Amino acid sequence: MHTPAKTEAACWSCHAPHAGGHFCAACGKIQPLPRGADYFAFFGLSQKLWLDCAALERLFHQLSWKLHPDNFVRASEYERELSLERGSQLNDAYRTLRDPVARVEYLLAQAGMRKEGAAKQQAPPELLEEVFELNESLDELRAARRADGAEMGVLIERLEAEEKKFESRLCEVDEELKRVAAEWDAALDAGGEDSKRKELMVRMNDVLNRRSYIRNLVANVQKELAEAQ
Amino acid sequence: MGKVVGIDLGTTYSLVAYMDPATGRPRCIPGPYGTPLCPSVVSVDADGSISVGDPARRRLLTQPDRTIYSVKRLMGRGVADVQDELKLFPFHIDPGSQQVIRVRLGDRVFTPPEISAFILRELKSWAEDFFREPVDRAVITVPAYFNDAQRQATKDAGRLAGLEVLRLVNEPTAAALAYGLHEQQRGLVAVYDFGGGTFDISILKLISTGEGDIYQVLSTNGDTHLGGDDIDNALRSAEIEEIHRQQLPGFSSSQHAQVIRDAVITAKHELSLLDKTLVKFPAPEGGWYTREITREEFEQAIAPIIERTMVPVRLALADAHLKPTQIEEVVLVGGSTRIPLVRRRVEEHFGRPPHCELNPDEVVALGAAVQADILSSGVKNMLLLDVTPLSLGIETMGGVVAKIIPRNSTIPASAQELYTTGVDNQTGIDIHVLQGERELAKDCRSLARFQLKIPPAPAGMPRVEVKFLIDANGILQVHARDLHAGEARSIEVQPSYGLTDAEVEKMLEESIEYAEQDFAQRQLIEARTEADIILKAAAKSLADEGAAELAPEERRRIDAAISLLRAAVLGTDYKLIRARVDELNQATMHLAEILMNRVLHVAIEGRRLEEV
Repeated sequence: MHTPAKTEAACWSCHAPHAGGHFCAACGKIQPLPRGADYFAFFGLSQKLWLDCAALERLFHQLSWKLHPDNFVRASEYERELSLERGSQLNDAYRTLRDPVARVEYLLAQAGMRKEGAAKQQAPPELLEEVFELNESLDELRAARRADGAEMGVLIERLEAEEKKFESRLCEVDEELKRVAAEWDAALDAGGEDSKRKELMVRMNDVLNRRSYIRNLVANVQKELAEAQ
Repeated sequence: MGKVVGIDLGTTYSLVAYMDPATGRPRCIPGPYGTPLCPSVVSVDADGSISVGDPARRRLLTQPDRTIYSVKRLMGRGVADVQDELKLFPFHIDPGSQQVIRVRLGDRVFTPPEISAFILRELKSWAEDFFREPVDRAVITVPAYFNDAQRQATKDAGRLAGLEVLRLVNEPTAAALAYGLHEQQRGLVAVYDFGGGTFDISILKLISTGEGDIYQVLSTNGDTHLGGDDIDNALRSAEIEEIHRQQLPGFSSSQHAQVIRDAVITAKHELSLLDKTLVKFPAPEGGWYTREITREEFEQAIAPIIERTMVPVRLALADAHLKPTQIEEVVLVGGSTRIPLVRRRVEEHFGRPPHCELNPDEVVALGAAVQADILSSGVKNMLLLDVTPLSLGIETMGGVVAKIIPRNSTIPASAQELYTTGVDNQTGIDIHVLQGERELAKDCRSLARFQLKIPPAPAGMPRVEVKFLIDANGILQVHARDLHAGEARSIEVQPSYGLTDAEVEKMLEESIEYAEQDFAQRQLIEARTEADIILKAAAKSLADEGAAELAPEERRRIDAAISLLRAAVLGTDYKLIRARVDELNQATMHLAEILMNRVLHVAIEGRRLEEV
């Protein structure tokens, strides 16, 4: 026996049942965006983290033709409002999903699993020693700059070498994120239990925190180096 | 509905263009002097009448206190922002100005949007004279790097000029649209737009899809205070120094500022074609001041200014993750790109000769006309996906800015923030919205401040979601929603720089006094003049002896038509006047024939007499 889904709404214009989607299937009018609409669902995608970027771009262009406010300049005020809502959601969704890191951040945030905690300021344990050395070099450089020291060249070189090390660390973290993301996709395919997914989300959150720590570190060193040169 | 046009509201010149249905190509509309270039100069006469364009430009020399040029530099800016400009531009800023500048022209005071509205009105009337139909909607272009306040000011100017602004389009994007149409370009394109007062660089990707062509802006950068004006000012300072060195008798740099400006601008133009020229102007105590300047000297003097354009070029490429050599086409836009040094420098950077097939002065207006046609006709085979040039942020603890919409995001774009209270019964949350790339609020551009009203509740209980949205014009909208009540909350957003809606409304009412420039008004004047001519002609004909030949019925018809026309002239309906003119023409047709015959008859008889 078939019972219509409770969530099924009606088109604001022709009152035909509306199952979601950007336009009413009956009259073709643009529909309001449901609250809390998900970026993946907006593109009709599952929450898998591996995305074919060229295909996503094509989808983005197709939807742009339909949803961009330029299409609604002559429509009613309400439809113009809706196109602004859906058009901006399209751009927000594309901006987020095309970037692999932002994509993971978004997935976790939607599930309430993105927790930065204290990790922003705390060095990951395995990096403690390297971070300590880096900070020492930074201090020396700053002292040398204040004193207009002659050893600047040597210090800059050392710092640059250390900075390179962290850049490669960043690549490693990105690789790790890719691996966990692939596990997440596999778990979605397998239709596994929630606990497995939750565990993967915790791991991804952990990787993201490490990543942002290293990224901040690298950015700061680059800034100092730029100022010193 | 009236006609739709595309308008390039430039620093030095403004233009209006339309889509020619016969050719499917955009065309610029010429003004009364035959050229489509309307100098962006406005002058207020002692009797309060406004002149715009060439007549106003001539008054720069005779009435500098009542005349203003380059007003675009003041759009959307506060007094503190323009201190540097004031040293170089003869703007008479009213002392009462704060967040919105007020400019004194003679004994009257105007905001920059009002002055720009005079220019827009002038262009509107050019187009109306051309179409002989009212024009009521327009696409207006703005520099890509214009911020929210500068865009809002431009939109206000459109409204004050009686135009519905269908869209603000970024100038380089408009140029790309015109070029794309012209050249059938595809791939990665850089538009280098160096105008009179602003510099923009935009990197676009042109994509063919089943539905048509998409012009997707990947990144944009620029400087809204870098243009030909800066070149002129540099040349002028150098010239003034030289004049002082020569101790030219009777010379005063403040009094003769405009004369020197004109002289160096002429020399600048000539040096785009010649290897050397003369800076020449009438000396204060008779004779001419002349000095030879070579192209080499000129290039040396302006090289630092040209070099400043390369900084945004590098930043835009970096944001698009591209190297200069990956760009497939480079397009030059804006009058300053006529300078050979600019062309050489751009070619050197991108490693390929730039396109300059289309007139760099006209190409932006042409693109605006294309977009105006797309938006108004609903026929779409092109789509512009533009970006916001600056990151949008909100002030957080310690004056730090949290970026919520990054620069170069495709617009429209939005971001949501959830707000709650920190203390019991707190009834408001202050929100400060900013635009810019710097970390601290004090270094970014303040867009708006507002207070979110919250009903009293225990701390942390209220949940208000605020949606910050940048629309397709690049202008901020803010919406708030109480998540508990599920209802939208209206918020009064006070712009940090710029006019409130109420102020624009008030100006709109005030601007009615300038409405004699409006289409209906002009039509009325023309129709009344026509009526006057035909009424005089009819009276003269009826006084002729030949009128006696008219049948009484005919005579009555003419008299009736005359009194109907006289009544119509007293009214303001120009269409009625025209109809009555036609009726009188009809009624007097036979009378005209009679009189013509008599004239011929007399002429023939006269000849016969002579022949005899």
